[in-house]
Amino acid sequence: MGFVDVVMSNEVDVFSGSKHESDAKEFDTRGVTVYARKPATS
Amino acid sequence: MTAPVGIAAVDREELRARISEKYRDVAMNPELGFHFHTGARLARMLGYSNEVVAALPAGTVDSFAGTGNPFLFGDLRRGEVVVDIGCGAGFDALTAARQVGPEGRVFAIDMTAEMRAKTAAGASALGFANVEVLEGFAESLPVADGTADAVISNGVINLCPDKQAVFREMHRVLKPGGRIQVGDILVHREVPQDAKDDIELWSG
Repeated sequence: MGFVDVVMSNEVDVFSGSKHESDAKEFDTRGVTVYARKPATS
Repeated sequence: MTAPVGIAAVDREELRARISEKYRDVAMNPELGFHFHTGARLARMLGYSNEVVAALPAGTVDSFAGTGNPFLFGDLRRGEVVVDIGCGAGFDALTAARQVGPEGRVFAIDMTAEMRAKTAAGASALGFANVEVLEGFAESLPVADGTADAVISNGVINLCPDKQAVFREMHRVLKPGGRIQVGDILVHREVPQDAKDDIELWSG
């Protein structure tokens, strides 16, 4: 079981300018989008 | 970060209640302002086109609270069946519905009633008959095995204590060869276990 062909997008500083910007920076939190595929055969 | 993904020691039902309360406000009172960005400004930050935003009802856009953009990896295709996990007010679900067309179908799932209502209202306003709005949880989707060509989600998995359960469900509902296109957040510094176990820090 599992996913294959995993690809991640560039990261976005999605909390920049928000009220929780400092909290997000503490863990260097970023927004990201992930693509992956379920194998065609198990 | 190389540590295995564990399950935080938070009460799942209490966490769901708190998250629903927060996102009820996002649905009903988006003008309040939250610790995260919302709305059209956020959509622009995440790379959604002006055309995508303009095609959606204002109420759908105002309550958008994603952290990524599932469509960065390509639009969905005509006729596809899509599951949106944690659809919120429907920003991605309705965008998906437009892309898959009347031959396709979108299962828009959310645990928060007010968010489901907004998605349904948006689908109705746009005349979309291919959207089915369902109550459900990411860890136990109300969708049969092997249903979906694609699973999308945006800013939801980070709110789930058992992330492996969410990915198992994504895998289960996908057809063989199906794909996930999901937005979320990641951290570059390890979050201490006591912070992971602090329910106050989950919903903000």
